[in-house]
Parts: sequence; C-alpha cells; structure tokens
Amino acid sequence: MSDLNVKVGLIGKFDMLKFKNMSKVREKAIQAAPAKEISGVFPINENAKALHPDFLELEIESIIERNAAKTFVLKGVNGKPLPYFRAGQYISLKLPMDGSLVTRSYSLCSSPKEALSGKYAITVRANPGGFVADRLLSEKKIGDRIIASAPQGFFYYEDLRDKKQVIGLAGGSGITPFLSMARAICDGIEDFELTLLYGSRTEADILFRGELDEIARVCPKFKVVHVLSDEEKEGFEHGFITAELIGKYAPGEYSVFLCGPEAMYKFLKPEIEKLGLPERLFRRKLIDVTKTPWECEGYPQEVKGKQFTITVRQGPQECSIPANADEPVLVAIERAGIKAPSRCRAGECGWCRSRLLVGTVFIPQENEMRRWADVHYGYIHPCCSFPTSDLTIEIPGEFF
Amino acid sequence: MPKYDVVVVGAGNAGLSAALQCQLAGRKTLLIEKHNVPGGAATSFVRGRFEIEPSLHELCDFGPEDNPGDVRNILDGYGVKLDWYECKDCFRIVSKYSDGSPMDVTMPSGIENFINKMEEYVPGSREKMTTLFDLFQEVLDGIAYITASKGHADSKVLQADYPNMLRTGAYSTKKVFDALKLPQKCQDILSTYWSYLGVDMEHLAFIHYAAMVHKYISRSAYIPAHTSHQLSTAMVERFRELGGDVWFNCRAEEFLFNGDRLCGVRTNLGDIECNYVLANINPDIIYGKMMPKDLIPEREKKLSAARGRIMGGRMFTAYFCLDVSPEELGIKDYSIFLSGTADSAVEYQNILKGTKSNEYSIFLCYNIANPEFSPEGTCVCSFTTFGAPDEWGELKQADYFKFKTDFAKKILKNLKDKTGIDLVGHIEEMEIASPWTFARFLGVPEGSVYGYETRDWDGMMARMMMLGADYPIKGLRPIGAAGPRGDGYSATIICGQLMAANALKDLKEWEGGNK
Repeated sequence: MSDLNVKVGLIGKFDMLKFKNMSKVREKAIQAAPAKEISGVFPINENAKALHPDFLELEIESIIERNAAKTFVLKGVNGKPLPYFRAGQYISLKLPMDGSLVTRSYSLCSSPKEALSGKYAITVRANPGGFVADRLLSEKKIGDRIIASAPQGFFYYEDLRDKKQVIGLAGGSGITPFLSMARAICDGIEDFELTLLYGSRTEADILFRGELDEIARVCPKFKVVHVLSDEEKEGFEHGFITAELIGKYAPGEYSVFLCGPEAMYKFLKPEIEKLGLPERLFRRKLIDVTKTPWECEGYPQEVKGKQFTITVRQGPQECSIPANADEPVLVAIERAGIKAPSRCRAGECGWCRSRLLVGTVFIPQENEMRRWADVHYGYIHPCCSFPTSDLTIEIPGEFF
Repeated sequence: MPKYDVVVVGAGNAGLSAALQCQLAGRKTLLIEKHNVPGGAATSFVRGRFEIEPSLHELCDFGPEDNPGDVRNILDGYGVKLDWYECKDCFRIVSKYSDGSPMDVTMPSGIENFINKMEEYVPGSREKMTTLFDLFQEVLDGIAYITASKGHADSKVLQADYPNMLRTGAYSTKKVFDALKLPQKCQDILSTYWSYLGVDMEHLAFIHYAAMVHKYISRSAYIPAHTSHQLSTAMVERFRELGGDVWFNCRAEEFLFNGDRLCGVRTNLGDIECNYVLANINPDIIYGKMMPKDLIPEREKKLSAARGRIMGGRMFTAYFCLDVSPEELGIKDYSIFLSGTADSAVEYQNILKGTKSNEYSIFLCYNIANPEFSPEGTCVCSFTTFGAPDEWGELKQADYFKFKTDFAKKILKNLKDKTGIDLVGHIEEMEIASPWTFARFLGVPEGSVYGYETRDWDGMMARMMMLGADYPIKGLRPIGAAGPRGDGYSATIICGQLMAANALKDLKEWEGGNK
C-alpha cells in the first residue's frame, strides 16, 4: 500500500496535526459547555414508565354486586392516573393470604377510556373450592388496597392482523375481556365489528346481561347472541357453541377470538378446526395452567401425589420449601410467602422465568412457550412447571 | 451483606462481556440485570408459534472460523460457544441516487465481489473503489496499532506506517469520499450503512465508518441460530460456569460511596458491597439519578451539556410473523434498506422531523439467512427505523397504540410500493416497539440504543484518545453504547472487554497501593 496517498485537506501536514488534535478539539468543545446539573430525566422515558410501571397500587373504589360475582372498581392510590391499555388485556393481582403471596390475573372489563380518569374494573366470579376467588368476594371491601401489575397480555384486536369482523366466543367469566372490547368499540377507541356468542348455563347465569344488551342497542358494531346450554328459551340459542352456530352468525371473512374455561377450550377445539380458518384468524386468551397435570400427555405417572423439596435462591437469599408434584412450582413458592415474580400463570408472559439448576420438571405442551435458548440452557416458567424430583432453582427478584 | 470484587450492572452486550472478563481474571463478580432476561437489546420474545429477534441485524467483526474478527476472538476467549448463520449478501438498497434517478442495487460480501458489483452499477469505479478499500485496510491496521499501544502510540510509527489514516482520520466520511473523487453513485451506494452508526455521512468520522464497513464487507456478517437471546444466554451460562453469580430482576437504584470511592450498590434485592462497578447504563442516568451530586466533577457536567440532547438513534421497530414462506411473498433478500434518497443528511433530518417525513426503514427477513428461523411455511420479518425525540416525547398514552400502528402501516406500504412485497393479509403475529419500548426495557435515554451520537468532535477515535479523562469516578465505569466505541453489538462487546480490563488494572493498582 506504499503507493496509497490520500489527502483531504490542502496540505497533508495539517491533516496529521488535525488527527493528533482530535482530543484537544473534543476537550475544547467540552470546556465550552456550561457545567449544568445533570437531570437524567427524559420525556420518552417518563412516558414509558407511566405506561409500564413496575407495579400498581390500587384501591377499591366501589363494588357492584352481581349474580355470584362482583365487579371491583379500582382507582390508583392517591388519585394517581392509571396506565392506558388495550381492550382485552389483564392485570395480575398480588394477594397476601394466610402467609401465602398469590398471583391471580383478571381481564379488565372496563373501557380503556376509564383508565384516563384513573379507573379500572375487574369482575371476580365465585369459584367454590378455589383458593382465591371466594376469599376476594367475601373479604374485600371498599377502601382496601391491592398490588397489581400494569395491564398486559396479547388478547386484543390488531387491525393490521385481524379481520374487521370478529366473532367472539365467550364462556362464563370469559366474558370480561369482550366487555372491555365492546365498550372500547362503543367509545370509538377500537374500530371493528364484534359479534359475541356468549355461552352460559341459564339465562340467570348471564354476566353483564344489561350492559351487553345496552351496548348492542346503542352501538351498531356490536352484537351479542346468548347461548344457553341448560335452558331452552325464545330469543336465545340453545346448546353449546359449535362450528354450525358460528357459521350461522359469521359474515364472509372473520377472525375468531376465544375466552372461556378449560372445558370450553377442549370442546371447541374440533369445532374451530371444522371452520378451516388459518391460524392467524384464530386467537385465544390463555388460561391458567391445568389443575390435573396427570391427564396431560407425557406426564410421568409415577410421581403423581409425591412430595418434593425445592431449594429456592433469590439474590443473596436461599431457602428450602416443600412442593407437591400435582401443583406448579410457583404454587409452592407462593405458599412459602416468597415475593416471587409471576403474572399470567399460563406460561405466556415469561415474567417468572427462572433457572433450574438441579432436578426435573414436567411442562404441559399447552403451556410450552419458552424461548429456544431457555429450553436449551435450563430455564423454566415455574407457573406451569410441575416438579418431578427435588429441585434447586434460582428465581428473579420483584419490585413491589 | 453480600460482598464482591466487581458488580456488573446490566447484562447487555457490554455487561455480559465485562462480567466474563472480570470473572476470567479471577475476580469475584456479580452480574445484576433489572430485567428477567439477559442481553438488553440482545434478547428475543415469543408470540404464538414464533420467537422473534428484536434487534440484531448482522453481527459484524465476527467472521468465519478461518478468518475470525475481533468479536469471534473475544467470544472464543471467553469460551462462549453457539451456532451461527452467515448473512451472505451485504444489502439491497431501494432508494434514489443523489441525482434523483432510481436506485435498486444488491451488494455482495467479500471485497473483490463488492468492487466487481460496484463496477457493474457504476462503470469505471474500480480504481477508486480499490483505493478506498486499501485506505480502509490502513485505517483498520492503524486502529489496531493504537489500541494495542494502550494510549502510548508512537507518532513516528503512525506517520511512517499509517500516514493515510492520519491524513483522513479527522475528517468526515463525506469529505474523504470527495477527496478521493469517488463517483457520486458509489458514494450513494456506500452511504447505506450510515444508519447502523446513526450519524449521517457529513458528520460521521471516516475512521469510524471505515472500520465498520470494512468489517462487514470483508468478513461478512453473522446471526446466532436462535436469536440474540441465544448469544446472551450462552454468555450468562458461561459466566455461571466460571463461578460468577447472576441476579435477574435486580435493579441498581443507587451507587454507594465511601468518601469519593465507590463501595457498593443499593438494589431492590438489598445492598451489595463491592470494590468496583462496571455499569451498563448511560452516564446521564448514572449522574442524574444514581449517585451523590457532589461527587460529580464539573467536567462531567460540561461533557453532558456539550452533548446536549444529542442522543443517537431512538429505535422504532415493527415485527411481523407471516403464515407464508419468503418465496410466496417474493422475498429474496435478507436486508433491504429503503429510503427516500441516498443522501443520508437529508434522510436523517427527515427522521428527526417525525413520522410524516420519515421514509427510512431497514427491512429484514430472518429466514433468508436462517431457513429454520420459524416453522416451515412461515417467516419472520422486521422493519427498523428511528423516532423523533419531540414527537415521541409529546405523544399521549391515549394516542400511543394508534400512532405506532399508523407508522407501521406507512412503513408496510412503503415496502409494497417500492418492492411489490406485501405482508398484509399474512400477518399471524405482530409487535411494534417504539422508543417508549426501548426506554422501558433498556432504560436508555429517549429509547436511544445508540448512546450519544458519535459525530464531529465526539467521534469514536476522539473518545478512545480520551479514555482516561472521561468518567473519572473512582470505582465506577460506565460501559455500553454510550462508551468510547459507540453503538452496535460488536462495539459494545469490545467496549465491555476494554473497560473491564481498565477496571482490573485499577483494582490491581489500588491493591498494590494498599500494601
């Protein structure tokens, strides 16, 4: 390269000086600036923090009594504004109960518009024998405070992806995200047409009957069809939601959104297949991990009912806790009262992602949503991993 | 209270690299990360049956096994192993030449191929292009010499062996191209990579540009087989193997001092005692929010003020998972740079004005480089562009979702208009990340993953020359994209190693002094 001779300035010597002087030029630019206090505050970051805070401190503002259910209207503590959200998203509550610290997620059933004036609403339905719902219904009163995650989840309408016509399939309390969507459509926040097929046992079991009918009355983009499984009545569809019934109400092109209990998902799986929709036109809200892992394919039956010990490390802390093979690792951690991260309880959000250092777990295929490298390097989502031996795991910290 | 020699705050590329370097040197090292996954931008997320790469386009300075670049050497040195795919072509660019005529060129990797292809597009350019690549080589060699000399470069050696680097190094890329009398069309095509550094050609130091472009073209580019989350996780696991501790969801709130020397970190998981912190955090955040104001030297305040609000690229990326193969969509290229014009200064100004005037985006289809990137019969694509600080700063929450979707629609339409590739109608999963998203997950000012603009007086070489002068806090060194090497995966991996080496030197000196 001896023949290479590039000059930028007129005289090469000055260029060399210029190179050597780069640090002097820089120092001069620095010294010329004022020594202002550094604030570290940036509007974009403040926006991001307001929309995605570490956690929310909510206060029960009012309670609306329903048939075997309650709607809790929540506001930010000290009147703080609440993050905006997309209709269909949920918040995850952190509930201290008898020394446990449990997580439960609830879809917001209010319109995103309400968030702008600092209000959310969730609806809790009675669940006899369940650990949390009935306690929430019987114990929580106006003025009580609750720690919750910011709204999250992917069960919402996206106009670049979904058809303008959406058929919503709801069962039981699975109605809540659809109510939020209907309200958002009515408020002009969302722009799509929602036809809701809502399955209940009897007319008396229909949640939000009045609200749904009222929105349908004033908003031409929203329709609701009540489907009763245990009752035959005029003005209602009878039986279960089937491909045939969907066909009856479906327009030419449509997306299907599904939210309901585990049994409904199982029943509807073959029905949805009959519709022949590409995967992109079918979305479902994920539901809690199964309570009967031994019914899942691949479950090592010999561990059913066994007790194990889990050594849990979190930052500098370490403790050993008992665990039941029939419950996810997260439940054992919650029962021990450990402040552990978890939100969706379905394997989807990944917030509980932990390193499995020793031992083995069973993960139902339904809930297997881990990243490739997490599977490869031994990271698990404790919310949907069942212990099949003694374990040592390293869990992340929390911020609330 | 737990006690460590070194705490690395932030498991981004620089943090991972620094942590490995310190642990390998036998220092008891703790790596803390405020998120529940490592990598910072080097991560991934799952939607439906897809795993999405959020940030890495092409890792440069990695190279094939028989011609390794610095980054491959560093990772090998750390003992980090994973599978890689080569991105065979450099890029396709669909834009307009400076004279307004349409431009649609595809440039291959390899210096000879690149020069040959340029000759096809710009007949008669071969000689100038060859000179340019010779100059690139000299610049690279010169930088290697300066780096190896650790701040004691001999000016006689520099003048004898790297005269062209000295003569061009202090100028902008545009000035050097003009001095070389490089045909304008060549300049237009060569300007393509400007956005990877976030500074237009009139303000981007030639020495910085030369180092990056030469690496891309001579050694090709690579991506991990399973997203950059594989790279970060492989680094974390190697660090563990070496005896390092890692705490996720652990956020440094405040740095603790004994006199003027750092002695610990306050976090949501409690206080940690340590002798040194390597902080993968933007210095404005450290000085503004994380340490006592009276310990911040005047010069550091001036440095921050001199930079003003000049942050580098504030990212906007839209990810689309499609239920058809790339062939069915007519996608042949791994990366297509789409812009209104090849004039980077005009493009950059249009970006900073806002989404209305911004016509710039980089389109990627990961399956072209890695056919197994997503399930058979599907593919994953992304668009990357930049946001304007005021627009995203003033945006209200209630308008946020629609605003970012509308911008994504504009970018999708732009691709369709310019290349005929239409993704709409095949989107199974999608996600749009705005400067808010990057601010949220990375904590970087304004969602800028590029740190401070490496422009004019604050270029890479000038920063490197002043390594000792910037950030003189005892026991605390910032690392990452805001550091001396600027932005990008390779730059930050190198930066982490470099700054860790300096920290290790400091520790040794202090220990010597204490004896």
